[in-house]
Amino acid sequence: MKRTGYLYDLRFLLHDTGPYHPECSERLQAIHRGIEAGGLLPLVKVIGAVKAEIRRIEAVHDPSYIRRFEELCLCGHRTFDFPDNQMCQETYEVALLAAGGVIEAVRQVMAGEIDNAFCAIRPPGHHAEVNQAMGFCYFNNIAIAARYLQDEWKLARIGIIDFDVHHGNGTQHIFEQDPTVLYYSCHEHPTFAFPGTGRSFEKGVGPGVGTTRNWPILPGQGDDEYRKLIETDLWPTFDAFKPEVVLVSCGFDAHEEDDMSDIRLTTGGYSYVMQQVVAIAEKYAGGRLVSVLEGGYCLARLPELARNHVQILLGEEIPG
Amino acid sequence: MFVHRSMTAKVITIGKQASLLEAKELMRDNNIRHLPVVDEEQKLIGVITDRDIRGAMPLENVRLPDFCKKMEVVTQLKVGDIMTPDPITIGPHDTIEDALLMFEQKKVGAFPVVDGQGHLKGIISVRDILRAFTNVLGIGQPGTLLCILMEEKVGQLKKIVDAITEEGISFGSVLVARYWDENKRAVFPYLLTNNVMRIKQKLKALGFELLDPMEWYIDQLPSHEPKG
Repeated sequence: MKRTGYLYDLRFLLHDTGPYHPECSERLQAIHRGIEAGGLLPLVKVIGAVKAEIRRIEAVHDPSYIRRFEELCLCGHRTFDFPDNQMCQETYEVALLAAGGVIEAVRQVMAGEIDNAFCAIRPPGHHAEVNQAMGFCYFNNIAIAARYLQDEWKLARIGIIDFDVHHGNGTQHIFEQDPTVLYYSCHEHPTFAFPGTGRSFEKGVGPGVGTTRNWPILPGQGDDEYRKLIETDLWPTFDAFKPEVVLVSCGFDAHEEDDMSDIRLTTGGYSYVMQQVVAIAEKYAGGRLVSVLEGGYCLARLPELARNHVQILLGEEIPG
Repeated sequence: MFVHRSMTAKVITIGKQASLLEAKELMRDNNIRHLPVVDEEQKLIGVITDRDIRGAMPLENVRLPDFCKKMEVVTQLKVGDIMTPDPITIGPHDTIEDALLMFEQKKVGAFPVVDGQGHLKGIISVRDILRAFTNVLGIGQPGTLLCILMEEKVGQLKKIVDAITEEGISFGSVLVARYWDENKRAVFPYLLTNNVMRIKQKLKALGFELLDPMEWYIDQLPSHEPKG
């Protein structure tokens, strides 16, 4: 069995998005409940959140943006630029804890203390741009982790797989000129879904051409389409890139019962996707994989999806 | 929504006495395909396109026995010899919709923009129109497209707009289109939010049908039969 880290911290629940917001603390509680009820807590190494050092955030975001975020929170503003980005006084601190927690999980994987990890965090990160909060995201957690891997562990090939149902515009833009980070995203087609980027012709910029890859999925598609893209595109792309570590932007919102999208991935389909992602990490990265929570809003399905996700990381068989 | 707001005002022009080679280089250097031809008073007298020039220098000539003689003729040709005189033009205060319909009907790639006195004010190309409509549709901004089917009767759209407004969601754009069933219309609000879960549930509760976008075609006309 694998040594799997599980980042979870009650302080993540303090990020209050107000009533009726889909990105609510109940999501995280549902995820934790699933892992607990699955009897997995004794099998994982629980990691507590630590605040990220500001220099780690500044490796991705503008210092002026970070200050503005902090000030708006301190002054009690309830939204950050868009009504989507609901927040409270604690949001800035919680966002630092989320980013710092992911860095800690990545550190433990790199130091060989654990094999892989699942980071059940909020707020999510992949829509956050260098100087713009967007789509419930404030700090781009996965980008901050990737920069940490570059700066501290001198990695030259970092693979990011983003299977949240929305395109990770922030992550793409942060690394679109960087040939050492492969950003691979499959998501609902941008004509129909937020945020309207991630078309198949977006392939990177300048020296980064070729290390951004987008596979838009049309509304109504499900397991078969994911199987096709993984076999014919994800594998060949990663076979060519050979990442030293795999980071995953893990969104459970492509599930057929999740109302945020029109994609119909089943619970079994999610297991298949994650098993393939783990296999890629096994083949090229010595199994080093850190999965970071993004979206996923169907409270009824999150427990089983999270439980299966962690079971796969532990190397356990999942009944199909 | 007027042509003068979307046209290229700094238009590159050529005189009718210029050689084809000059015209060709001007197009290549500026990455354009249409050159308005003007007289000394900047009045429009014609248009020359990269296609006109290619047509005047056909590659087949190379294989003909009198190739050299033909090339001699070609090199002596002036812009005025092969340009389209009296081209179709558009006015600065015509609308983008006028331009769109004209592009569709006249099958050209660009219209010189000419004022009432015949002076050249700019040029508007298919690409300018595309940019304008990208802007109008709001698809440069992050948002989510809803696909809703409504009865063709008074007050339906208001219900939809009210429901969305109650959720505090801003509109990027709203497109209303015909549907194969003449008693219905397809409504496509582009909402500047990621948060569409509640509004989708609300619209369904109000009795609206959410269209499967895969079942609808943007150029579908009422006369078309339904799928399946």
